[in-house]
Amino acid sequence: MPTSRSIISPERLGALAGALPWIVALAILGYAFVAGGYLVTVMSFALIYAVFVIGLNLFMGYAGQVTFGHNAFAALGGYTSAVLTSTAYGWPPIGAFAAGMALALAVALVIGYPTLRLKGHYLAMATLAIGLIAYEIAVQWQAVTGGYMGISGIPPIGIGGFDILSDRGQLAFLAIVVALATWSAIRLRGSRFGRALAAIAGSEDAARALGIDVARYKLVAFLVSAAYASLAGTLFVHVVGFVSPEVFGLHMVVLAFTMLYVGGIGTAAGPFVGAVIVSLLPETFRALKDYQDLAYGAGLILLLIFAPKGLAALGELIPRRKVGSKAP
Amino acid sequence: MSLLQLSGVTRRFGGLLAVDAVDLAVEPGGVTAVIGPNGAGKTTLFHMISGFQTPNDGRVLFDGTDITGLPPERIAAHGLIRTFQLVQLFRDLTAVENVKVGCHLQTQGGVLTALVRPRSARQSEAQVEATARELLDFVGLADCAGLAAGTLTYGHQRLLEIARALAARPKLLLLDEPAAGLNAQETELLAATIRRIVARGTTVLLIEHDMTLVMSIADKVMVLDFGKKIAEGTPRSVRDDPAVIAAYLGTAEAARA
Amino acid sequence: MPDFSYLPQIALSGIGVGCIYGLIGIGFCVIYNASGIVNFAQGAFVMLGGMLTHVAFQRLGLPLFVSAALAIVIVAALGVVVDRLVVRPLWDRNATMFVMILATLAVQIVIERLTLIGAGDQPKSLPMLTDLPPLKLGGIAVSFQFLWIVGLSLALIVLLDLFFKRTRTGKAMRACAINREAAALQGIPVSRMLALAFALSAALGAIAGVLITPTQYTAFNVGVPFAISGFIAAIVGGFGRPLGAFVGGIMLGLAQAVAIVAFGAGLKNVAALTVLLLFLFIRPQAFSGKPNRKGDQVWTHTRSIGARSPGRRCVRASNARRSRAKARPSRCTA
Repeated sequence: MPTSRSIISPERLGALAGALPWIVALAILGYAFVAGGYLVTVMSFALIYAVFVIGLNLFMGYAGQVTFGHNAFAALGGYTSAVLTSTAYGWPPIGAFAAGMALALAVALVIGYPTLRLKGHYLAMATLAIGLIAYEIAVQWQAVTGGYMGISGIPPIGIGGFDILSDRGQLAFLAIVVALATWSAIRLRGSRFGRALAAIAGSEDAARALGIDVARYKLVAFLVSAAYASLAGTLFVHVVGFVSPEVFGLHMVVLAFTMLYVGGIGTAAGPFVGAVIVSLLPETFRALKDYQDLAYGAGLILLLIFAPKGLAALGELIPRRKVGSKAP
Repeated sequence: MSLLQLSGVTRRFGGLLAVDAVDLAVEPGGVTAVIGPNGAGKTTLFHMISGFQTPNDGRVLFDGTDITGLPPERIAAHGLIRTFQLVQLFRDLTAVENVKVGCHLQTQGGVLTALVRPRSARQSEAQVEATARELLDFVGLADCAGLAAGTLTYGHQRLLEIARALAARPKLLLLDEPAAGLNAQETELLAATIRRIVARGTTVLLIEHDMTLVMSIADKVMVLDFGKKIAEGTPRSVRDDPAVIAAYLGTAEAARA
Repeated sequence: MPDFSYLPQIALSGIGVGCIYGLIGIGFCVIYNASGIVNFAQGAFVMLGGMLTHVAFQRLGLPLFVSAALAIVIVAALGVVVDRLVVRPLWDRNATMFVMILATLAVQIVIERLTLIGAGDQPKSLPMLTDLPPLKLGGIAVSFQFLWIVGLSLALIVLLDLFFKRTRTGKAMRACAINREAAALQGIPVSRMLALAFALSAALGAIAGVLITPTQYTAFNVGVPFAISGFIAAIVGGFGRPLGAFVGGIMLGLAQAVAIVAFGAGLKNVAALTVLLLFLFIRPQAFSGKPNRKGDQVWTHTRSIGARSPGRRCVRASNARRSRAKARPSRCTA
C-alpha cells in the first residue's frame, strides 16, 4: 500500500465516501425523531422495508442468487400476525410473530428445496410464481384473509403486554430492530457461513470442489432471508394496523429491489440507506400520485444502467490501487 | 494400497465414447501426470474422479473407499481436491478470502455459530486467517493478499487456486492443466511449487500438455488417446513409446476428425 | 360437485386462449434464442396491442383492421426502442442476468403506468372481428373470433417456420442464436438481428393482444398475467422451441379450463402458476424431447461443468466440446 503524505489520501477519501451514506441516512433518522409528524411515518415505513431488504441482500447480494418472490414470506408473516392477534384468537403479538415466522420457514423449506435446484431465468420465474401464488391466495381465501378488503384493526406492537403506542416509540423500536438485523447480517457475512455464501456466488463448481454443500447452503440462505421477510411482514401489519393483498404484492417486490440497488447490493449499509432514500423520494412527488410508479420504473432502469452498484458503493468510485474495476 | 484406483472407468456422451475403460493406480506420494492429445478425454476423466460427472461404467476408489458417483463436495470431504482447467476463483473476493474458503472443510459452524461467535469460533477464525496467510506465502503471493482475485495476473491466479486447494489439506491434489496460459518463467515457478507441495506430503495427479513440465516433475505418466489408455510408465519410457508418438504426431493414414 | 358438462365448451375457449398464450410464448422464445434474455416486458406488448387498437378504433375512428395493423406496427417499433434504450446498454455493461430481468420488469411497469396515465384505468374492449352469431358444432358454440384466433395462429406458425428456415434473414437470426461471435464473423449484422428479434417478438405479442381483446377486455394492467402465461407456455414447450411453446400454450389453456370447471374461475391464475411450478420442478425439458442447449442448464446439480449464462456462451468452451464429437444436431432455434 503506498503511503500518502497528504491528509486527503485516496484511502481516506474512499473510507469517507463509504461512510457517507451511513451518516446521511442516520442523520435523516435522527431528524425524524426530533421533528416528528409525517416524517416519522415515512421513516417507519423505510425501516420496515429495510428489514425485508436486509434479508434480500443476504440471499441475493451475499449468495448471488435470484428471488422475485420473497414478498410471499412477508405475506405469511404479516397475515399470520394479523389473524392471530385479531379479536377472534387474541394472541399476543410476540406469539403471533413466532407463529408467522415458523410458518414462513416451513413453507420456505418445502418450496425452497425444489426451487433452488433451478438456475437463472427458471429460478427467477419460479420465485416470481411463488410470490404471485401467495398474492392470489391472499385474494381468494376470503374466509381467512378477508380478500381484497383485508384485515383491519390490527393491534399495535407490544412486548409482554406493554404496547408501544406513540409514533416516536414505534420508530425507536423499529430502529432497534433494524440495527439488530443489520448487525446480524454483518455477523453472518464475516463468518464461515458468509464465506461459503460468497463462494457460491463466485463459482458454484469451485465451492463444491472445496467441500461446500452448495444446495444446502443455498437453502439455508433462502430460509434466513425468508425469516427476515417474515419479520418485516409482521412489523408492517402492526405498525400500519391494516393488511391487504396489495401490501405484499408485486409493488413490494419492485420497491424492495429499487432500495436494494440504490443502497448497493451486497454491501452492509445498502439496505438501510436504500430504504431511507427510496422512501423519501416519492414524498417530493406526492401530488403526482399516479406518476410515482412511473418514476420508480424509469428511475430503476436508469439506476441499473448507470449506477448498478448503488450509493453505498460510493467508496469504490474513488480510484485506489486497483488494477481494474469489475462490473457487478 | 493405492491412494486412487480407477478400474474400467467409462463415460459416453450419446454415441461418443469419451473415456473407454481406463484403469489407473496412483500411489501415495509423488506426481502422476495424465497426458494425451486434445480431446483425448483427460478432463472428462478428472470430472469423473472428482464427482462432476458420473461414470457410465467402472469404479473409482479413493483411499479404499468407493467414491464412484458421489457428489463433488462429498469427495472433497474425503480429501480429494481439484483445480479447474479454466481458473475458477471467487473473483470478487480478495486473495486471502479465497484461500480462507479453502479452509471450509477444516472448520465448523453455520448460522448459529456465526451469530453467537463463541470462543471456539473466534479461535477457529484466527486459525483460518493464519493458515490462509501461510499458504499465500507458500505460493509466493503474500503481497497480493488484499487484492481482488480477479485483478491478479493469470499466473498468479493459478497459484492462488492451488493455494486455496491446499487449504483444504488434500491427500490427493488434482491439477487440471495448471500450466495452461503460463510463460516459461511462470511454468518454472509452478514446477517448483508442485515439488514443494509433494515434499509436504500431498500426492499430485495432474493433466498437462506442457511436456517440459511433465518431464521435469512427473514420476509416472499415463497417456490417453481417444479415451483409451495407450501407454503408462516413467516419463522417459512414455516419451519414447511409438504408440504415443503416433498419437501426437499422427501416422500417414490416421484421420483426425 | 363440479359440473363437468360444461367442460367441452370451456375446453374450447381454453384452446382459444391457449393459442394466445402460445403466441406470447413464441415471442419469449424468439428473444431468448436471439439474445439469451427473457424479456419480462412481453406482457406490456400484448396489452398495448389491444389498447392501441382500441384507441385508433374508438378515438380516431379508423377501421378495425387498419387500427389493428397500425397498433402492431407501433408495438413492433416499441420493441426496438426497448432493445436499444434498455437492453443494449445493460448488455454492453456486462450486467448480470438478474439486472436484465429487473430492468425488463421495470420497462413493463413504465409502459403500464404510461398507459394508465394516457388511457385511464377503465377496461376497454374491441368488437369481434366478424360480427356473426357463433356456429354450433355438436352442441358446442364456436365463435368466429375463436376461428380467427386459431386460424391466424396457425398461419403465423407456418409463416414463422418458413421465415426461419427459408429466408436469409431468418437463417441469419438463427445463426446469431447459435453462436453470436461466429455469426458476427460471417458478416451478419448481429445488432440489427437483435433489434429485429425484439420487433418480431413485440409484434407477436401485439397480435395476441389484438386477437384476445374482443373476448376479454384490455386494461393497463393485463400485461403481467399474460406475460406469465406466455412464459409458462414457453417453459412447458421446452424453452427455445416455438412450436413447443405453441403446444405448451394450448396445454396450459386446457389445464386452466379444467381448473375453472373443477375449482371455479377464481383459482384460474393459481392453476396456471402451479402448472408452471410443477413443470419447473419436474420436467423442465418437458415436451421438447430434445435436450436444451449446453449452457442452458436448468438444474444446478447436474454434474457437468456448465457454461455461464446462455447468452454469453464462452466460445472457448464450445470449442473444447467440438473436438471429435459428432456435429451437434441442429436445433429449431426460431
